[in-house]
Amino acid sequence: MIPWKLVPRYLRAHPLRSFLTLGSLTVAVFLLCFLYSVVTALNAGVASSSSSRVIVQSAVSLYVNLPLSYQPKIEAVEGVVETCKWQWFGGIYQDRSNFFAQFAVDHETLLTTYPEIEMIEGSDEEFQRLRTGCIIGKNLAQRFPELGVGKTLPLLGAIFPRAGGEAWEFQIAGIYESNSANVDNNTMFFHFDYLEESMDTGTVIADPGVGLFVVRLEEGTKTEDVQRSIDNEFSAGPQRVQTTTEAEFQRQFVTMLGSVPTLMGSIGGAVLFAILLAVINTMMMAARERTQDFGILKALGFQDRAAACLLVAEALLLSVAGGILGVGIAKVTAPIFQQVMGTTVPGYDVTSHTATVALIIAIGVGAIASLVPAWQAARLRPIQAFRAEG
Amino acid sequence: MKLPPLRYNFRSLLVRRATTILTVISIGATVAVLAGIQSLQKGFLSLFDESGREGVAVFLRPGAGSEGESAFTRDRADILMKTLPEIASGPDGLPLASGELFLAVRMPKVDGGETNVPIRGVQTKSFDITGDLLTLESGRRFEAGTDEIIVGRKLLGRILGAAQDDVIVLNTTPFRVVGVFDYDGPFNSEIWGDADRLQEALKRRIYSRVIATLKPGVDIAALSARLENHKEVPAKVLSEKEYLSTQTGFLSGILNVLAYVLGGVMGIAAIFTGTNTMLAALSSRTKEIGILLALGFRPWSVFLSFLMEAMLLGLIGGAVGCLLVLPLSGIETGTTNFDTFTEIAFAFQVTPTILGNAVLFAMLLGIIGGSWPAYRAARMRPSAVIRRG
Repeated sequence: MIPWKLVPRYLRAHPLRSFLTLGSLTVAVFLLCFLYSVVTALNAGVASSSSSRVIVQSAVSLYVNLPLSYQPKIEAVEGVVETCKWQWFGGIYQDRSNFFAQFAVDHETLLTTYPEIEMIEGSDEEFQRLRTGCIIGKNLAQRFPELGVGKTLPLLGAIFPRAGGEAWEFQIAGIYESNSANVDNNTMFFHFDYLEESMDTGTVIADPGVGLFVVRLEEGTKTEDVQRSIDNEFSAGPQRVQTTTEAEFQRQFVTMLGSVPTLMGSIGGAVLFAILLAVINTMMMAARERTQDFGILKALGFQDRAAACLLVAEALLLSVAGGILGVGIAKVTAPIFQQVMGTTVPGYDVTSHTATVALIIAIGVGAIASLVPAWQAARLRPIQAFRAEG
Repeated sequence: MKLPPLRYNFRSLLVRRATTILTVISIGATVAVLAGIQSLQKGFLSLFDESGREGVAVFLRPGAGSEGESAFTRDRADILMKTLPEIASGPDGLPLASGELFLAVRMPKVDGGETNVPIRGVQTKSFDITGDLLTLESGRRFEAGTDEIIVGRKLLGRILGAAQDDVIVLNTTPFRVVGVFDYDGPFNSEIWGDADRLQEALKRRIYSRVIATLKPGVDIAALSARLENHKEVPAKVLSEKEYLSTQTGFLSGILNVLAYVLGGVMGIAAIFTGTNTMLAALSSRTKEIGILLALGFRPWSVFLSFLMEAMLLGLIGGAVGCLLVLPLSGIETGTTNFDTFTEIAFAFQVTPTILGNAVLFAMLLGIIGGSWPAYRAARMRPSAVIRRG
């Protein structure tokens, strides 16, 4: 028999200490959730990639454009349904710190190549109709409340400056929401034709070209075959291309981060280690203070394991509570981090997987921390215990 | 006012060895994380902040934030280089100015995946402008007008096929690596070749920027203002130092946020642990405190004595944190510099300032953690305390 009633009493006996231990556990679990969520978010694009799309880009550089003449040649490859041009615009909205991505795209095929994109305000028809029309992601609309459907979005062209130095002006035709991590909700899309036309008429000085082509494949087509055919088509130049699956394309951006995920991992390890020590510390204190109590328990005839079980139960109770609180805080603060890190870590979210892992780790910490004190308590002889100072 | 001897605090920490060690390590881990991120940031920033020169001007297209965004046609670059009176001349009487093509090219990383390696097509004057700062570690400089390149030292071991005598195919043209160079700055992660040949191979017949050594005493801001609205060649001009300092904001900002968020949050946890430890110390030393008070030590002295002990705990924790972080010094790592979107390699730089701040932070954690228990200790009544034991 084990006197379980003693567990809550012990916790209440030192309210400040219980609270502080709970606090450090909560903080640790929150930090783990945060770091884990950042890493998950970085990899989210890869995980949610579609296999019905491939990306054609220059094999030389992310910054080298492909000739416009490549489009019909790609569309002629067997298995290709349609293509969509994407060109990085790099415009500045009011100030450099307001950075967000803008792409000039084929407006006719953007939504058909990306069925994940859904218009939540305004309409696609309007976007199709307006030559200077654009659509913006819902997070952008939240970040800049002054930008709404029907408003004008002025952008200063850093890569595509207008001849007079004035800003480009786009009409916001709609706000979209993407339910997949491979298109984020912080982007602005506008008509490629408008960009091209401006270059043709000389109002913009830049080289015409396309950053990349998104290619939609027929269902059941072997991706590798299409990739090989497209790569071979342009292997002699003028620009060699690299055709990748969407997953591979997203992975390229993750590998560019280099050691950042490793760094996050080591910090997570350090946090865990520090907190483990803190909880061990508390449990040792608790055990030491209760030496006399445990002596009494044993003298009363309770088994050796009673004392040990009490300590383990106390630690587990604390760690489960800390875990739940930490995960809870991480969940509650997620929208704030989404707002703050919208452009750096798009798609930050505390997934249920993250929450589960964090909880398990918290319980593990509690279990490990109580092992040594529990073992010592079990080995304690009543006579020693009475002699010990409280 | 007399304080109980410091030796008493030392001994108290020693007696409670296990608790002391655990607390020390948890404070140590906190400051180690903070100091680690700061030394990473320091290593990154020093590449940019310390290598830029005031007397060298960087010309960009107005509106461009970095050379990757900037472009001059060859004719316009020539006008800039040959007609500006502010540009100094070399021993041969020609202006010390050079047009440079900059492009980030895809290269395979040694540990898998691809990254964007900056490649710089330079004219021979770039070497004169760089002067002794650029040294060759092996091989020789590329021959002007040939398909030869030299690579920065930091690319070795990070990028596949970028060693001496390797051949790198750019689009469809093979280039041979004829030398490895060292430069104490971001150039160290770049590949350099002949501007004309690279423009041809990469099908980019432009210069991304023009750099020039200015005559002494030239006011760059005035020059920039004059060229901003120039009819033929509008340009914005920055000193190289200023230019490089604008290329670090994003990554440095991320590291900053990371350092403060993690330091702050882990710090809170460390304060909790510290308070716990001191509370435990307090409860097991109730009798001693009573004796101290009975001996005539003032409550204020007891308070300070306890605070001192907590600070000592923090100090030791800080020292442990420093020891944890020191081995990181010099370790090379790399990531993408988001301002240029190219791979940059840099080393952790553990500086005395960072270590000093770490120790101060650790002591602060100790003091905050110890203040409540110290206050409690000071408020005890000797008679009550001694009777209790």
